[in-house]
Amino acid sequence: MELNDRAQIHTLEGLAAAILMVITMLAITQSAMIVTPQNELSMIVHQEQISSDALTVLDIAPDTAIQYNLTECVAGWQGNESNVTSSNLETLDNELANLLPDIKYNVDLAYVKDGELNTKQVIINGAATEDAVVVRRLVTLSNSSVTSSGGAWNLTDDELMVVEVRLTSWQI
Amino acid sequence: MADLKKDSNGQWIALSGFVISLIIIILAVMANQAVIAGYHSSNAALEFPKENIRELNLQTRDNAAIARELAYEINKTSNESIHIIYDDLFNNCSSQMRMLYAIHGENINVELVSINSTTKVSNASEIDMIKVNITYANEKTFYVAEPEIIEVNV
Repeated sequence: MELNDRAQIHTLEGLAAAILMVITMLAITQSAMIVTPQNELSMIVHQEQISSDALTVLDIAPDTAIQYNLTECVAGWQGNESNVTSSNLETLDNELANLLPDIKYNVDLAYVKDGELNTKQVIINGAATEDAVVVRRLVTLSNSSVTSSGGAWNLTDDELMVVEVRLTSWQI
Repeated sequence: MADLKKDSNGQWIALSGFVISLIIIILAVMANQAVIAGYHSSNAALEFPKENIRELNLQTRDNAAIARELAYEINKTSNESIHIIYDDLFNNCSSQMRMLYAIHGENINVELVSINSTTKVSNASEIDMIKVNITYANEKTFYVAEPEIIEVNV
C-alpha cells in the first residue's frame, strides 16, 4: 500500500466547496429582504402611507408647527368648486405641496347637507393615473370655527358638520 | 468493454451534476419565494383598513370634545338639559359619519352609551367622560370597540 497526502487535498477541497455553498445560500436568503419591496403593490402601500401621513400631520400638528391646520383650511372654504387653473383652497394646496414633493394630487370635500351627500372638487392638479391612491380624513366644523377662518359654510349656531377631506394622489 | 464496466469515474461526474442541478433548483425556489412573500405582505397591508379604523376612533373623540363645547354654548340660551343637547349633537355627527363611510362601502356605527356614568341617566351638569360603542365593518374586516371610554374634559 502506497501512502500519500492526496486525501488531505480532497478534504480541503470538500470543505471549500461546502463553505462556498453556505455563503451562496446566505447571500440569497439575506437578499430576500431587499428584493421583497420591489413590486407594484408595495409601491401603492408606500404611496398610500405617505399620503395618509400628510393629512394626519396637517390635522394634528400644533399651531406652533403649521400656520393653518386641516380643520382651519377646510373651514375657510368659500363654497366654490375649483378648476385646473385655480385652486379654491390655496392654503391647503401649499401645505400639501410641501408635504408631498414630486407627487400630484387632487382634493375633494364630501359632506352631508340637509340629508344629502355633496362632493366638491377643491384642488385639481390633473387627471389621476390608474395607480392613484385615495386617502381620507374627517374634520368637524362648527359655526365658530367657520367664522374665525372666514369660510362660507352657512352653519347655524347649533350645528356641527362632519366633512371628509378626500386626497387622491399619484406619482408621475 | 470489460474494463469500462469496472470504471466508476463517470458516476462521480453524474452525481456532481445532479447535486449542482439540485442547488440551482433550490436557489430558484428561494428567489421566487421572496417575490411571493413581497406580494402577500403588500396585499395584506392594502386589504386591512387600519387608517379608516384609526380615523373613525380619532374622529369620534374629536366629535365628543367639540360637541361638549357647543352643548355648553347652546345650553345658555336653551331650556333643554345639557345632556339632551349633547346627545343630539353627538348622534347627528355619528349619522353624518355613517353616511360618509357608507359611500366607500364601509358600515360604521357610533352609539353614545352613557355620559359620566355607566347608565344613561346622570344629573351632573358637567360632562367629563362618555362611553360609546364603535363598530366598523367592510367586506373583509369587522372591528368593535365596546365600550370606548372618552375623557372629554381635558
